[in-house]
Amino acid sequence: MANLKKFLVRRLLTFIPTLIGVTLIVFVIAYVIPANPAKAWAGGEKASEEAVKQIIAEYHLDQPWYDQYWFLISGLATNSIIDPRTSNPVMGDISERFPVTFQLAIIAFVFILLLGLPLGLVSALKRNTWVDTIVRIFALIGVSTPIFWLGYLLLYIFFVKYRITDLAGVPPSPPTQIFHVPIIDSLLTGHFTIFKQHFARFWLPGFTLGFAGMGVLARFVRNSFLEAISGDYIEFLKAKGVPKLKVYRHALKNALVPIVTVLGLQFGSLLGGTPITETVFSLPGMGSYAIDAIRNLDFPAIIAITFIYAIIFVTTNLIVDILYAVIDPRVRY
Amino acid sequence: MSEPILEVRNLTVHFYTYAGIVKAIEDVSFDVYKGETFALVGETGCGKSVTSRALTQLIESPGRIVRGSVIYHSDKGSVDLLKLNEEEIREIRGSEIAYIFQDPHSSLDPLYTVGYQIAEGMEVHGRVKSIKEGIQKAVDILRSVLIPDPESRVKNYPHELSGGMKQRVVIGTGIANSPKILIADEPTTALDVTVQAQILELIDDLRKKYNATVILITHNLGVVAETADRVAVMYAGKIAEIGSVEQIFKNPLHPYTKGLLKAVPNPMTKVERLDAIPGTVPNLITPPGGCRFHPRCPFAMEICKKKVPELKEIEDGHFVACHLY
Repeated sequence: MANLKKFLVRRLLTFIPTLIGVTLIVFVIAYVIPANPAKAWAGGEKASEEAVKQIIAEYHLDQPWYDQYWFLISGLATNSIIDPRTSNPVMGDISERFPVTFQLAIIAFVFILLLGLPLGLVSALKRNTWVDTIVRIFALIGVSTPIFWLGYLLLYIFFVKYRITDLAGVPPSPPTQIFHVPIIDSLLTGHFTIFKQHFARFWLPGFTLGFAGMGVLARFVRNSFLEAISGDYIEFLKAKGVPKLKVYRHALKNALVPIVTVLGLQFGSLLGGTPITETVFSLPGMGSYAIDAIRNLDFPAIIAITFIYAIIFVTTNLIVDILYAVIDPRVRY
Repeated sequence: MSEPILEVRNLTVHFYTYAGIVKAIEDVSFDVYKGETFALVGETGCGKSVTSRALTQLIESPGRIVRGSVIYHSDKGSVDLLKLNEEEIREIRGSEIAYIFQDPHSSLDPLYTVGYQIAEGMEVHGRVKSIKEGIQKAVDILRSVLIPDPESRVKNYPHELSGGMKQRVVIGTGIANSPKILIADEPTTALDVTVQAQILELIDDLRKKYNATVILITHNLGVVAETADRVAVMYAGKIAEIGSVEQIFKNPLHPYTKGLLKAVPNPMTKVERLDAIPGTVPNLITPPGGCRFHPRCPFAMEICKKKVPELKEIEDGHFVACHLY
């Protein structure tokens, strides 16, 4: 366990260059865009000279790039930067929208797990039968269906035709907040009506967002399970007289390392998919906020969102790395 | 002679692959007697392993046991192992008939401790009530397969042990339920030469200790000469010759057996030079008609191409499948 501590410290230190690198790249892209953000923030073509000048001074836009970058990063860290578009502190805006996106991603992730894992297992166990073929076709459809198309299709079915879901706003949060993710908090504190409301609002966008992931996961589970089950130790287990279900348990555990890797990557790509899903289902989350920010040249918000996404990515990777060692005793830090 | 414990008759296994039907073994018949060490010898791909696994229906798709019977005479009476359903044969595997596989590096699940894996083998047959109790018993088993410091070794994972140690664990798993028959499928092939003798000695000691029968599968004639009581020589999925070690080594009848013995240094007689058997192992999708050895046989006659030779008893307990006799 002392090793684990050392490992964690080492990994947390690698977060710093990663985060600097990611935000710097996005900043540089924003910096070289031939646009006039000050004018846009001041109100566009009709903006007065003084207003533009004031904004330039306030946001250090006349300073060299490293000064601007430092101004943005340190300002975001202390939450002293006011968003030029919404006039709120940037991190304040984000902390309001983050739970929506995170909740969406979690629900999509649960869908991926609940459907992708069993589908992959069934596909592997019924290898080369019609069941397997159907799952494989489903997986192919999953990865090749665009989210915006699927989203509108499902909206048409479940909202326009049958009114099974609703699209207005976001239900209230439970009174006591633990993780600041309403659906988890309401479940933990026993506010089941709030939980139901959140689920009713989020299941369809969650399913839409997770659809591609289910297919990918099913394929991965199928292949790594088949690889595991063809191992010699599986045959030895059978020769020991171990019943089928227990043999499958051994195989599944051995198949878990690639599966966990894919799941980690999936969680990251889920966040990447939120802008479209949130726009289609009109959810006020980080994704739609990011799109608005890009459209309005709102650089402080863009950097802040990049920063948050990068943190989630590296944290997910860290969790995946720790899980490797939990699953496989051969993995050492 | 003592009584048979296994009577294998016309055992035939085919593999249905895209390239065609691989006739891995055809009409294999032999007896194994109680308490002996019975060796199955042959080249790679001649069907030794398939034969040993087919005994307890351990044949995976695309393979299938086409016909045959394996009569097992246990204390509770005689059964045809090939007629048992999945659950009945599972109860026999590992408890009455146990296996030791070739490669100890891949026979053990890398994610579980060796203690757990030995305990699991006992737990699934109801020999212990829980894995925990099984792990305690596993300490004694590890001690009996001569693993030093078994108390701490039970907590080791397979990757923390050497090849010889792992094979001892595999053997320990095999004998955990004191089986009547121990099928050792090339138990020393993947090991260092220095460890091979120790492992063979261990298997033989355990056979005596538990009064078990050992079926030893090997391509190593030296191992056969040293440990086996009786030998069956296999070629291209068929039995060529069966006899006691003495009969096979001193008076080989089948041209293939003769060729094999000329190809290895024989410790019993002085050999000037080693001869190779001309030609290669036949393709088992379209095996040669008649005797499968005839394209490589120096004594091949017309009849060898047409008629499959039956096993004939030439002297007491010495059978050969060859038209020369």
